[in-house]
Amino acid sequence: MNPRIVEVRKDILKKNDVAAAALRRRFDATGLIVTSLVSSPGAGKTAFLERTLSMARARHRVAALVGDLATECDAERLRRSGVPVRQITTGTVCHLDAEMIERALGELTLADLDWLFIENVGNLVCPASYDLGEHRRAVLLSVTEGEDKPLKYPTIFNTADVAIVTKIDLAAAVDFDRDAVLRNIDSVRPGLDVLEVSAKTGEGLDRWLALLEQPVSDRTVESTA
Amino acid sequence: MHELSIAMSLVDTICEELPKLGAVVVRAVHVRIGALSGVVPDALTFAFDVAADGSRIAGARLDVECTQGRELELAALEVVDEPANR
Repeated sequence: MNPRIVEVRKDILKKNDVAAAALRRRFDATGLIVTSLVSSPGAGKTAFLERTLSMARARHRVAALVGDLATECDAERLRRSGVPVRQITTGTVCHLDAEMIERALGELTLADLDWLFIENVGNLVCPASYDLGEHRRAVLLSVTEGEDKPLKYPTIFNTADVAIVTKIDLAAAVDFDRDAVLRNIDSVRPGLDVLEVSAKTGEGLDRWLALLEQPVSDRTVESTA
Repeated sequence: MHELSIAMSLVDTICEELPKLGAVVVRAVHVRIGALSGVVPDALTFAFDVAADGSRIAGARLDVECTQGRELELAALEVVDEPANR
Protein backbone atom coordinates (compact mmCIF):
# COMPACT_ATOMS: atom_id res chain seq x y z
CA MET A 1 0.00 0.00 0.00
CA ASN A 2 1.42 3.38 -0.96
CA PRO A 3 1.97 5.92 1.74
CA ARG A 4 0.42 9.32 1.16
CA ILE A 5 1.31 12.67 2.62
CA VAL A 6 -1.43 14.64 4.31
CA GLU A 7 -0.65 18.29 4.85
CA VAL A 8 -1.76 19.48 8.29
CA ARG A 9 0.08 22.73 9.08
CA LYS A 10 -1.00 23.13 12.67
CA ASP A 11 0.78 24.93 15.45
CA ILE A 12 1.97 22.34 17.95
CA LEU A 13 1.34 24.66 20.89
CA LYS A 14 -2.00 25.81 19.48
CA LYS A 15 -3.78 24.57 22.57
CA ASN A 16 -1.62 26.76 24.79
CA ASP A 17 -1.91 29.70 22.42
CA VAL A 18 -5.70 29.37 22.33
CA ALA A 19 -5.83 29.25 26.14
CA ALA A 20 -3.46 32.24 26.35
CA ALA A 21 -5.57 34.23 23.90
CA ALA A 22 -8.68 33.49 25.98
CA LEU A 23 -6.87 34.67 29.12
CA ARG A 24 -5.77 37.86 27.40
CA ARG A 25 -9.37 38.56 26.39
CA ARG A 26 -10.46 38.05 30.02
CA PHE A 27 -7.75 40.40 31.24
CA ASP A 28 -8.58 43.00 28.62
CA ALA A 29 -12.30 42.84 29.44
CA THR A 30 -11.64 44.27 32.90
CA GLY A 31 -8.62 46.38 31.96
CA LEU A 32 -6.26 44.21 34.01
CA ILE A 33 -2.60 44.58 33.01
CA VAL A 34 -0.55 41.40 33.38
CA THR A 35 3.22 41.33 33.62
CA SER A 36 5.29 38.15 33.78
CA LEU A 37 8.80 37.76 35.15
CA VAL A 38 11.25 35.18 33.83
CA SER A 39 14.86 34.51 34.81
CA SER A 40 17.26 31.77 35.81
CA PRO A 41 16.91 30.46 39.38
CA GLY A 42 18.42 32.86 41.87
CA ALA A 43 18.38 35.99 39.72
CA GLY A 44 16.20 37.71 42.30
CA LYS A 45 12.68 37.49 40.83
CA THR A 46 11.00 37.05 44.18
CA ALA A 47 12.89 39.84 45.98
CA PHE A 48 12.23 42.13 43.03
CA LEU A 49 8.56 41.20 42.99
CA GLU A 50 8.27 41.71 46.77
CA ARG A 51 9.51 45.29 46.37
CA THR A 52 7.34 45.82 43.32
CA LEU A 53 4.17 44.65 45.09
CA SER A 54 4.90 46.74 48.20
CA MET A 55 5.41 49.87 46.11
CA ALA A 56 2.63 49.27 43.59
CA ARG A 57 -0.09 48.57 46.15
CA ALA A 58 0.03 52.18 47.31
CA ARG A 59 -1.62 53.29 44.07
CA HIS A 60 -2.96 50.14 42.43
CA ARG A 61 -4.89 46.99 43.25
CA VAL A 62 -2.33 44.24 42.65
CA ALA A 63 -2.03 40.47 42.96
CA ALA A 64 0.56 37.85 42.05
CA LEU A 65 0.84 34.26 40.87
CA VAL A 66 4.12 32.51 41.49
CA GLY A 67 5.36 29.27 39.93
CA ASP A 68 7.84 26.79 41.37
CA LEU A 69 8.33 23.05 41.07
CA ALA A 70 7.61 22.63 44.78
CA THR A 71 6.97 24.52 48.06
CA GLU A 72 4.89 27.55 49.06
CA CYS A 73 8.02 29.48 50.09
CA ASP A 74 7.79 32.19 47.47
CA ALA A 75 4.07 32.77 47.99
CA GLU A 76 4.64 33.11 51.73
CA ARG A 77 7.36 35.69 51.11
CA LEU A 78 5.24 37.64 48.65
CA ARG A 79 2.18 37.62 50.93
CA ARG A 80 4.13 39.74 53.39
CA SER A 81 3.59 42.61 51.01
CA GLY A 82 -0.10 42.34 51.88
CA VAL A 83 -1.49 41.52 48.42
CA PRO A 84 -3.30 38.36 47.24
CA VAL A 85 -0.78 35.74 46.10
CA ARG A 86 -1.38 32.28 44.65
CA GLN A 87 1.38 29.68 44.45
CA ILE A 88 1.42 27.39 41.42
CA THR A 89 3.43 24.22 42.04
CA THR A 90 4.25 22.56 38.76
CA GLY A 91 5.62 19.25 40.08
CA THR A 92 8.29 18.40 37.55
CA VAL A 93 7.19 20.79 34.83
CA CYS A 94 9.84 23.39 34.10
CA HIS A 95 7.57 26.25 33.01
CA LEU A 96 4.12 27.72 33.52
CA ASP A 97 1.53 27.32 30.79
CA ALA A 98 -1.72 29.12 30.09
CA GLU A 99 -3.91 26.43 31.64
CA MET A 100 -1.99 26.59 34.92
CA ILE A 101 -2.60 30.34 34.98
CA GLU A 102 -6.28 29.84 34.29
CA ARG A 103 -6.61 27.37 37.18
CA ALA A 104 -4.59 29.54 39.55
CA LEU A 105 -6.77 32.58 38.87
CA GLY A 106 -9.50 30.56 40.57
CA GLU A 107 -11.33 32.72 43.00
CA LEU A 108 -9.48 35.95 42.23
CA THR A 109 -11.96 38.54 41.03
CA LEU A 110 -10.19 40.07 38.08
CA ALA A 111 -12.44 43.11 38.03
CA ASP A 112 -11.07 44.02 41.48
CA LEU A 113 -7.49 44.19 40.18
CA ASP A 114 -5.43 46.69 38.19
CA TRP A 115 -2.18 44.77 37.88
CA LEU A 116 -1.38 41.07 38.03
CA PHE A 117 2.17 39.76 38.19
CA ILE A 118 3.18 36.24 37.22
CA GLU A 119 6.53 34.93 38.46
CA ASN A 120 7.52 32.03 36.22
CA VAL A 121 9.57 29.01 37.26
CA GLY A 122 13.28 29.90 37.38
CA ASN A 123 14.39 28.82 33.92
CA LEU A 124 15.73 30.75 30.93
CA VAL A 125 14.81 28.11 28.35
CA CYS A 126 11.35 26.59 28.51
CA PRO A 127 9.19 29.59 29.51
CA ALA A 128 10.13 31.20 26.18
CA SER A 129 7.78 28.84 24.31
CA TYR A 130 4.67 29.43 26.42
CA ASP A 131 2.41 32.44 26.05
CA LEU A 132 0.65 33.05 29.39
CA GLY A 133 -1.69 35.74 28.13
CA GLU A 134 0.52 38.38 29.68
CA HIS A 135 0.78 41.89 28.23
CA ARG A 136 4.38 42.41 29.17
CA ARG A 137 7.21 39.96 29.77
CA ALA A 138 10.24 41.04 31.80
CA VAL A 139 13.43 38.98 31.69
CA LEU A 140 15.66 39.40 34.74
CA LEU A 141 19.41 38.96 34.79
CA SER A 142 21.51 39.48 37.92
CA VAL A 143 24.96 41.07 37.91
CA THR A 144 26.37 37.91 39.49
CA GLU A 145 25.37 35.67 36.58
CA GLY A 146 27.84 36.81 33.97
CA GLU A 147 27.45 39.24 31.12
CA ASP A 148 27.09 36.56 28.44
CA LYS A 149 23.68 35.22 29.55
CA PRO A 150 21.80 37.06 26.76
CA LEU A 151 24.08 35.43 24.18
CA LYS A 152 23.64 31.99 25.71
CA TYR A 153 19.84 32.24 26.03
CA PRO A 154 18.79 34.47 23.13
CA THR A 155 15.29 33.00 22.79
CA ILE A 156 14.00 34.23 26.12
CA PHE A 157 15.48 37.70 25.51
CA ASN A 158 13.78 37.67 22.13
CA THR A 159 10.35 37.11 23.66
CA ALA A 160 10.81 39.77 26.37
CA ASP A 161 9.52 43.34 26.36
CA VAL A 162 12.01 44.63 28.90
CA ALA A 163 15.26 43.35 30.42
CA ILE A 164 15.98 44.03 34.09
CA VAL A 165 19.49 43.83 35.50
CA THR A 166 19.09 42.96 39.19
CA LYS A 167 21.37 43.11 42.25
CA ILE A 168 23.01 46.23 40.84
CA ASP A 169 24.17 47.01 44.40
CA LEU A 170 26.65 44.13 43.97
CA ALA A 171 27.99 45.37 40.62
CA ALA A 172 31.31 46.66 41.93
CA ALA A 173 31.93 43.59 44.11
CA VAL A 174 31.64 41.22 41.13
CA ASP A 175 33.37 43.48 38.56
CA PHE A 176 30.15 43.65 36.58
CA ASP A 177 30.82 44.81 33.02
CA ARG A 178 27.81 47.02 32.34
CA ASP A 179 28.79 47.90 28.78
CA ALA A 180 29.21 44.23 27.88
CA VAL A 181 25.78 43.24 29.17
CA LEU A 182 24.09 46.15 27.39
CA ARG A 183 25.93 45.27 24.19
CA ASN A 184 24.97 41.59 24.52
CA ILE A 185 21.31 42.35 25.14
CA ASP A 186 21.26 44.72 22.21
CA SER A 187 22.86 42.14 19.94
CA VAL A 188 20.13 39.54 20.58
CA ARG A 189 17.22 41.99 20.83
CA PRO A 190 18.07 45.39 19.38
CA GLY A 191 16.29 48.26 21.08
CA LEU A 192 15.04 46.28 24.09
CA ASP A 193 14.52 48.53 27.15
CA VAL A 194 16.99 47.73 29.92
CA LEU A 195 16.51 48.76 33.55
CA GLU A 196 19.11 48.40 36.29
CA VAL A 197 17.68 47.80 39.73
CA SER A 198 18.42 46.70 43.27
CA ALA A 199 15.62 45.20 45.31
CA LYS A 200 17.83 45.73 48.35
CA THR A 201 18.50 49.45 48.02
CA GLY A 202 15.50 50.31 45.87
CA GLU A 203 17.70 51.76 43.14
CA GLY A 204 15.97 51.86 39.74
CA LEU A 205 12.58 50.75 41.02
CA ASP A 206 11.05 54.16 40.31
CA ARG A 207 11.88 53.65 36.61
CA TRP A 208 10.31 50.17 36.73
CA LEU A 209 7.12 51.53 38.32
CA ALA A 210 7.05 54.28 35.69
CA LEU A 211 7.34 51.63 32.96
CA LEU A 212 4.46 49.66 34.47
CA GLU A 213 2.30 52.80 34.26
CA GLN A 214 2.85 53.03 30.50
CA PRO A 215 0.22 51.59 28.17
CA VAL A 216 1.01 48.11 26.88
CA SER A 217 1.36 47.15 23.26
CA ASP A 218 -0.44 44.15 21.83
CA ARG A 219 1.71 41.04 22.38
CA THR A 220 -0.55 38.65 20.55
CA VAL A 221 1.37 38.90 17.30
CA GLU A 222 4.70 38.31 19.00
CA SER A 223 4.03 35.06 20.81
CA THR A 224 6.50 32.31 20.07
CA ALA A 225 5.43 29.28 18.13
CA MET B 1 12.20 18.51 29.90
CA HIS B 2 10.19 21.04 28.05
CA GLU B 3 10.50 19.01 24.86
CA LEU B 4 8.40 16.32 26.54
CA SER B 5 5.54 18.79 27.11
CA ILE B 6 5.86 19.86 23.48
CA ALA B 7 5.96 16.23 22.30
CA MET B 8 2.80 15.51 24.27
CA SER B 9 1.09 18.53 22.68
CA LEU B 10 2.26 17.25 19.30
CA VAL B 11 0.79 13.78 19.91
CA ASP B 12 -2.49 15.37 21.06
CA THR B 13 -2.57 17.58 17.96
CA ILE B 14 -2.02 14.58 15.68
CA CYS B 15 -4.64 12.46 17.43
CA GLU B 16 -7.15 15.30 16.94
CA GLU B 17 -6.41 15.21 13.20
CA LEU B 18 -6.77 11.45 12.81
CA PRO B 19 -10.58 11.19 12.68
CA LYS B 20 -10.53 13.42 9.58
CA LEU B 21 -8.28 10.95 7.77
CA GLY B 22 -10.30 7.79 8.10
CA ALA B 23 -8.73 4.43 8.93
CA VAL B 24 -5.02 5.11 8.54
CA VAL B 25 -1.74 4.18 10.13
CA VAL B 26 0.66 7.08 10.66
CA ARG B 27 4.09 6.17 9.31
CA ALA B 28 5.82 9.50 9.83
CA VAL B 29 5.22 12.90 11.31
CA HIS B 30 6.77 15.92 9.64
CA VAL B 31 7.38 18.94 11.89
CA ARG B 32 8.98 22.33 11.31
CA ILE B 33 11.04 23.64 14.21
CA GLY B 34 12.33 27.20 14.08
CA ALA B 35 15.77 28.10 15.36
CA LEU B 36 14.14 30.68 17.64
CA SER B 37 11.45 28.36 18.98
CA GLY B 38 13.62 27.25 21.89
CA VAL B 39 13.10 23.59 21.00
CA VAL B 40 16.01 21.23 20.43
CA PRO B 41 15.25 18.79 17.57
CA ASP B 42 17.18 15.86 19.08
CA ALA B 43 15.47 16.24 22.43
CA LEU B 44 12.09 16.49 20.71
CA THR B 45 12.76 13.34 18.69
CA PHE B 46 13.63 11.44 21.87
CA ALA B 47 10.61 12.82 23.73
CA PHE B 48 8.29 12.09 20.79
CA ASP B 49 8.91 8.32 21.00
CA VAL B 50 8.11 8.43 24.72
CA ALA B 51 5.01 10.58 24.22
CA ALA B 52 3.70 8.52 21.30
CA ASP B 53 4.15 5.20 23.08
CA GLY B 54 0.75 3.72 23.86
CA SER B 55 -1.07 6.24 21.65
CA ARG B 56 -2.65 5.66 18.23
CA ILE B 57 0.54 6.85 16.54
CA ALA B 58 3.01 4.67 18.48
CA GLY B 59 5.98 3.74 16.30
CA ALA B 60 5.61 6.64 13.88
CA ARG B 61 8.86 8.28 12.79
CA LEU B 62 9.47 11.96 13.50
CA ASP B 63 11.01 13.99 10.68
CA VAL B 64 12.25 17.38 11.79
CA GLU B 65 12.78 20.21 9.32
CA CYS B 66 14.81 22.99 10.90
CA THR B 67 13.77 26.50 9.88
CA GLN B 68 14.90 30.01 10.75
CA GLY B 69 11.94 31.52 12.56
CA ARG B 70 9.94 30.79 15.68
CA GLU B 71 7.60 28.21 14.21
CA LEU B 72 6.71 25.01 15.97
CA GLU B 73 4.49 23.39 13.41
CA LEU B 74 2.99 20.01 12.64
CA ALA B 75 3.49 20.28 8.89
CA ALA B 76 2.28 16.94 7.51
CA LEU B 77 1.60 13.29 8.20
CA GLU B 78 2.72 10.34 6.12
CA VAL B 79 -0.04 7.76 6.34
CA VAL B 80 -1.06 4.46 4.79
CA ASP B 81 -4.60 3.17 4.67
CA GLU B 82 -5.24 0.56 7.27
CA PRO B 83 -5.74 -2.88 5.62
CA ALA B 84 -9.46 -3.70 5.54
CA ASN B 85 -8.98 -7.19 6.92
CA ARG B 86 -7.25 -6.08 10.11
